[in-house]
Amino acid sequence: MFSNLVLRNSRRNRKENGLFFASLVISIVAFYIILSISRQDVMIFLQKMESDAVNRLMAMIPIFYGMTLVILFFLIYFASKFQLERRRHEFGVCLMLGMRRGKLFGMLMAEDFHNSILALAVGLPVAVLLSELISLVTAKAVGMGIVGHKFTLSIPAVFWTMAGFLAIKLAAFLILSGKISRQEVGGLLADTPEGAKKQRPSAVYALSAAAGVGLLAAAYSMAIRGTSWQQIGMMALTLLMGLTGTLLLFYGMGAVVSLLLKREKSRQKLHTFNFRQIQESVIHQSASMAISSLLILAALCCFGAGVAIARTNNQSDAHVLDYTFEDHSSEPPEQFLSRLQNLLEQKGVRDQFSELFEMKIGRIRIADDHKNAFRMEPLMKALESLPESENRDMLINRFSVSDNPYLLCLSDYNKLLELAGKPALQLGADEAAVYMGSDFVNEAQAEILSRIFSEKPEVQIDGSTFFLTGELQTADIVTDRSITILFALIVPDEVFDYYTRQQYSVYVNAVLSEDAIGGDSLMNAISRVNTLLDGAALEDSWIEYESYLQNIGRQLFYMVAASYITIYLAIIFLVIANTVMGVQFLMGQQKTSRRYKTLVRLGASYETLCKSARKQISWYFSLPVAVAAVSSLFGVKALFAGLLASRTEGNDAEMLIISAAMILLLCVVEYIYMTAVKRSSDRYLLTKMVPEREE
Amino acid sequence: MEPILKIDNLSKTYGNVPNQTKALNGISFQVMPGEFLGIMGSSGSGKSTLLNCIATVIQATGGSITIEGTELRTLKGKALAEYRGKTVGYLFQNFELLDNLTGRENILLPTSLHGVSERDGKERLNKLADYLEITDILDKFPTQMSGGQRQRVAAARALILHPKMILADEPTGALDSKNAKNVMEKLAGLNRDEQTTILMVTHDSNAASFCKRILFIQDGVIFHELRRGDESRQDFYDRILMVMAQLGGGSCNVL
Repeated sequence: MFSNLVLRNSRRNRKENGLFFASLVISIVAFYIILSISRQDVMIFLQKMESDAVNRLMAMIPIFYGMTLVILFFLIYFASKFQLERRRHEFGVCLMLGMRRGKLFGMLMAEDFHNSILALAVGLPVAVLLSELISLVTAKAVGMGIVGHKFTLSIPAVFWTMAGFLAIKLAAFLILSGKISRQEVGGLLADTPEGAKKQRPSAVYALSAAAGVGLLAAAYSMAIRGTSWQQIGMMALTLLMGLTGTLLLFYGMGAVVSLLLKREKSRQKLHTFNFRQIQESVIHQSASMAISSLLILAALCCFGAGVAIARTNNQSDAHVLDYTFEDHSSEPPEQFLSRLQNLLEQKGVRDQFSELFEMKIGRIRIADDHKNAFRMEPLMKALESLPESENRDMLINRFSVSDNPYLLCLSDYNKLLELAGKPALQLGADEAAVYMGSDFVNEAQAEILSRIFSEKPEVQIDGSTFFLTGELQTADIVTDRSITILFALIVPDEVFDYYTRQQYSVYVNAVLSEDAIGGDSLMNAISRVNTLLDGAALEDSWIEYESYLQNIGRQLFYMVAASYITIYLAIIFLVIANTVMGVQFLMGQQKTSRRYKTLVRLGASYETLCKSARKQISWYFSLPVAVAAVSSLFGVKALFAGLLASRTEGNDAEMLIISAAMILLLCVVEYIYMTAVKRSSDRYLLTKMVPEREE
Repeated sequence: MEPILKIDNLSKTYGNVPNQTKALNGISFQVMPGEFLGIMGSSGSGKSTLLNCIATVIQATGGSITIEGTELRTLKGKALAEYRGKTVGYLFQNFELLDNLTGRENILLPTSLHGVSERDGKERLNKLADYLEITDILDKFPTQMSGGQRQRVAAARALILHPKMILADEPTGALDSKNAKNVMEKLAGLNRDEQTTILMVTHDSNAASFCKRILFIQDGVIFHELRRGDESRQDFYDRILMVMAQLGGGSCNVL
């Protein structure tokens, strides 16, 4: 009997609140995916060569797990609260009939547990499948063959998913049922007041809306101008202003809606009713609408950042070098190339490479006075005379710290250019070209510099005058992207030898031969050659190598990790915001179900009611979403200004693409949710169509 | 004169064969245009079932209800909604005003539902508000009104579309005696001046004394009928009380 009741009640709960059940399933999926990240193909692959970074990420997963736990706790708490509130009367009746509180508690607990188990039964397989799918897609996207894919089921992830889910479910349940069981039976039996809260004079709302807009504007201007990124205090102030601004704006939005109510003399059925309903929700639920809006904003910003990171790291996939060898022995550097060639020949891997060439990097050694070995006042002057701009200031900053540039050898660099299919640099005996690592300059800055170099500014190397010429050079000089040079001069070979006094480091770059690649993907080819090289025991001769794969692996890791986590957070935020809005609307509708009954008795048809509710839903969702969308335009810009400055500066087209993708995602998600809520509301209204007289 | 409402051998049975309850057991009566008819009876007598049948809230098991020549059973979908909104106006015991709409918006709600032009609606609204003395509170929300004001606003809403008949379900049930009297006076006045047909279900003898004719129902059949001739309301009230006493105690105690 008791268990029958439990089963029936929990089935009813699922049916009546499908949205809530779906959000439970989604939270399970979220847990599993974040926990099983270490089993993703890409991560397994990366662990081989970037184990440090991967381990660091894995160490962060508990933090994300904890964060997800907290966020989802609020979602579940909120949704369960409404579910229990709706059944107050039923609980009252049970207690009146002599059910002990302990028994009632047990019944609720059993129902809750039953639903949780079902959610797990649905959610876990979905999560495993989805995680596999993500694994396959990312593996395919980064060019790993999918042949090696193995189905993985992460048992610890399953365990922690279940543990976390049940824990937050239980916590929410205990808090809520504690609240309910403390109430008197009479309080439970009485209908909850319909909540015709007093409205304040409309001037209050108008003022609040104006103040909200003002605060938001201030917060965004601070964020975009970069003021907020300078100090943590400023950042806190900006966030605070944004938060209060949004809350005030939503609190005051009632005024906006009543303006709409008065202005628009629509002939639509139930126009006044619709707007009064919307106004009421806006006024009574302004806080949760504001929070939903902020969550959507957070989601959009995360998504924008994630996509931006993924895209910017993807840009530099044109590469020239496959391998770089480095010498750690005490042998003279000028013999390194021949030593390496011999060694490779001996071990039989020489034929894997079509090119082997040196890249010498030195410093100015000839001067005693290291501080004044290099001077470039004319260049600085030329920069300072330019009109003020962010790019100019950044360049001045960069150059003011580089008083001792590296020197690169012209013939080495020309070899690199040749392999990249670019024309060689021509330098006179007293000329030099400027090299900067591609991470340190953007296109606009390179253009500014190239313009200055076309006027051949003078620099002094140990008292001798050289003229800077040519365009700014930014080709990668070794495969390892973590070895980067902020500022170097490319000089003719004799000049290099003279100023470095033959003291330099040598890197030997290599390109794989056609045979080695043999129609296979580069990834696999490099993996194979890596195995050969490892077998050749190069470390016995103090030689280390770095392949493009490791380099791309590192990049890939940052890309995958950063975009994975930001996009994951974006989805979680979106789901939560929408579930909160949907559940809140439906519960509000149930609370005011009497109004719909009255409308039925006044002769409203089912279609009219559905249309009215659908309109309310559209507005109810659109307000927070619209505010979030407008805010996100500034938010993403601010994010780019503060965090991703060097990568995306001045790249309007990219911003446009990201924004378009974001808006598309938002539209799709909102459409899905709105349709679900509308369907649910239609179903609910159908139950109100049978009018009944209450005695 | 053709009757506005014709009820013929109406019956309503609840439940299935072994334990059926006959709430209405073959009731027949007619309502003429401009009549103010009261229906009285104790709890469980079937008066609410009767009103619910007329209001199309429930369907009768047998017999027919005809309003101006239209059999209610034949109404479906849009026509049914039109009937609920336009042919009858409904007054509820607990007013059923939407608490998030102002008085004016509540009254105009049916016009918005049934596509009546705003100008016509406003004209009618002003006239009704004037008569029902609610002009000052039109822009207040129901929570800011007294019970009597709410019921008068509800009356204006019921009347806004010129219904053929007002169905009033215990309209004074939630009011104190002073407000109840005021509301009944207004209803009686509407009946007198505008020839509004009113069908009212009530427990309250005092309210019933405003009617022109009263049907007493017991156990699903009409048990007695009172007509108010030229007598004063007080005399009519005394007669009602007498019938009520009989209803309550049975025929062996009185008369």
